[in-house]
Amino acid sequence: MPDTAAQIRIRPVDELDIGSIVRIDERITGTYRPDVWERRVMYYLRRDPDASQVAEVEGKVVGFMLGEVKAGEFGIEEPSGWIERFGIDPDHRGRDLGRQMFAAMRRHFSEQGAAVIRTLADMKQPGVAGFLTALGFGPSRYQALEISNAPEGR
Amino acid sequence: MKVENVLLEKKYHDAIEHWSRHNFKDYPVLLEKWEEYFPSDEKFCLCAKLEVGTPDLIQIGEQKGEKKRLEPDQLTEEQAHHLLAIIKAQASTEFGSIQQHSGTLDRANDDQDRMWVLRVMAEELRHGYQMIHLLLSKDWSHVSGGVTGRQMVEEILSMTTGNHVLDAFNLDYDSFIDNITFAAFIDRVGKYQLTMQKVCAYKPMADSMPPMLREEAFHLAAGVIPLRRFAQRAGSGDPLASMRSVQHSVNKWFPRGLEMFGDERGGETNVKFGFKDMKNREAQDLYIEEVRKMLRDINARFVRARFPEYSPEQAEGVITELEQTRGSHRGLQHEDLLRLPDRRFFRRKGEAAFEMIGIDGETFTDADEYIRYLSKNLNEGYVASRDLVNFADVLRKVKSGTMTVKDGIMAMPKLKRLGGMCPCSKGVRWVMEDESGGQTPVGIRA
Repeated sequence: MPDTAAQIRIRPVDELDIGSIVRIDERITGTYRPDVWERRVMYYLRRDPDASQVAEVEGKVVGFMLGEVKAGEFGIEEPSGWIERFGIDPDHRGRDLGRQMFAAMRRHFSEQGAAVIRTLADMKQPGVAGFLTALGFGPSRYQALEISNAPEGR
Repeated sequence: MKVENVLLEKKYHDAIEHWSRHNFKDYPVLLEKWEEYFPSDEKFCLCAKLEVGTPDLIQIGEQKGEKKRLEPDQLTEEQAHHLLAIIKAQASTEFGSIQQHSGTLDRANDDQDRMWVLRVMAEELRHGYQMIHLLLSKDWSHVSGGVTGRQMVEEILSMTTGNHVLDAFNLDYDSFIDNITFAAFIDRVGKYQLTMQKVCAYKPMADSMPPMLREEAFHLAAGVIPLRRFAQRAGSGDPLASMRSVQHSVNKWFPRGLEMFGDERGGETNVKFGFKDMKNREAQDLYIEEVRKMLRDINARFVRARFPEYSPEQAEGVITELEQTRGSHRGLQHEDLLRLPDRRFFRRKGEAAFEMIGIDGETFTDADEYIRYLSKNLNEGYVASRDLVNFADVLRKVKSGTMTVKDGIMAMPKLKRLGGMCPCSKGVRWVMEDESGGQTPVGIRA
């Protein structure tokens, strides 16, 4: 049972959080992917280091949420805040860390002039779908579409 | 978050671009390949950036609550003098690091790492530009001792590795490991300084900090991520990557980084004047904890590569075990892991100047024994450098009682450029400066 009285801190991500993010991702997915997270964290740090957030409990990073403001994507010209990756250590779920990180990102997106926040999620994952719905995300007029591009005959 | 971009008067802008042609030859390469390596990132702008909407009232110090100063002559003479020195020192570090990075940039064995460092250099150029903007956009003549803005710019642009204000910017790099270790350790001190200066009672200085800090986040990552990858290569058994080479670079830069905070006993004036929100030791303590965490993280990357079958918890356990026992684990020695030197190790300034303390806090009583110890724990290129020869010479004098520690701190030779501002115009000389400012040439470098 998580200790809800433990000291929580939400702050922008930095380069020293990579190890913790790798660990959280490994706990969730079972895969050790340091290269992936080094690339992703560097991407966000070089573009807008104040946007992406981590959640610390008692000084240990147990959650992350990465994103940025973009304009011109898919013909959407106005600046939009994009939530692109997030994860919470399974041992620390149920204490509102995701909501608090989202609130911090939302404030930053507002300062950047983003009136809409967007994301793309696998809605068949109940945890992800439930979390985004609880935050207030709803269907968009923009739909993600896909087509298989595997070579024929395979 | 709103930022105003400001260009210097054309002749000064041109002077900085001219400087870059001598000291940052790959600048055009970076601009040309920007889209390839940093797709859709905001284009690089050689300009001063000022954050709009920062606090209007002084946040700390004796004048807390008063309106922030907008002009140098609204500061007391003592404050203005002090702040002018901070701005000039900051400018010196920005241009200095570009000169250092240039020396070994082409030795990067990964194109992406090289481009990251090139971007770091460009952003340091912008930071130097920012400081020059602070010097030129207002009138500092009442505290500059008759030195004009133009002369201050000339002085800054004529500095070269060896005569910058802070020691960390007077050391040549010996390999690309120094490029990334410097970014991880020395740029981190820069982050602390900029963060502390966000409160600055002089508003143009405070407004300069947030855009610089955002860029600094990339600089730290451009050091830490290649170090992590290097540790992964070392752990995987790549014969061309060793943790020892990183440790030697850490031993070189960490002591200089600590000294950039200023003497551990000082910093009160900055807080009193409302220029920074922490004293030297306070900031240094936080920095030490941060770099300790960084090294542990890099060690974890190394151990996971060495034992791919280990879980994160097992890898952490190995690090803790080796730190406690200083022994070995399945052939992995304690010495194979990175460790943070004692804060008194290899110091030439501050509270521990010329104390002879080893990496793990061990003490030495004989100067030559200590110099031999340093030579084993620093990389060969640096051991053969002028800087270390000078350090050894002063250390011997201090320890034999022929020189006081205070004089030892003053006695480290500096390179001085004699002549015009263009780096191609004159050679520079090694000089010893006495307390009255007199100079004795001791060598020439073309």
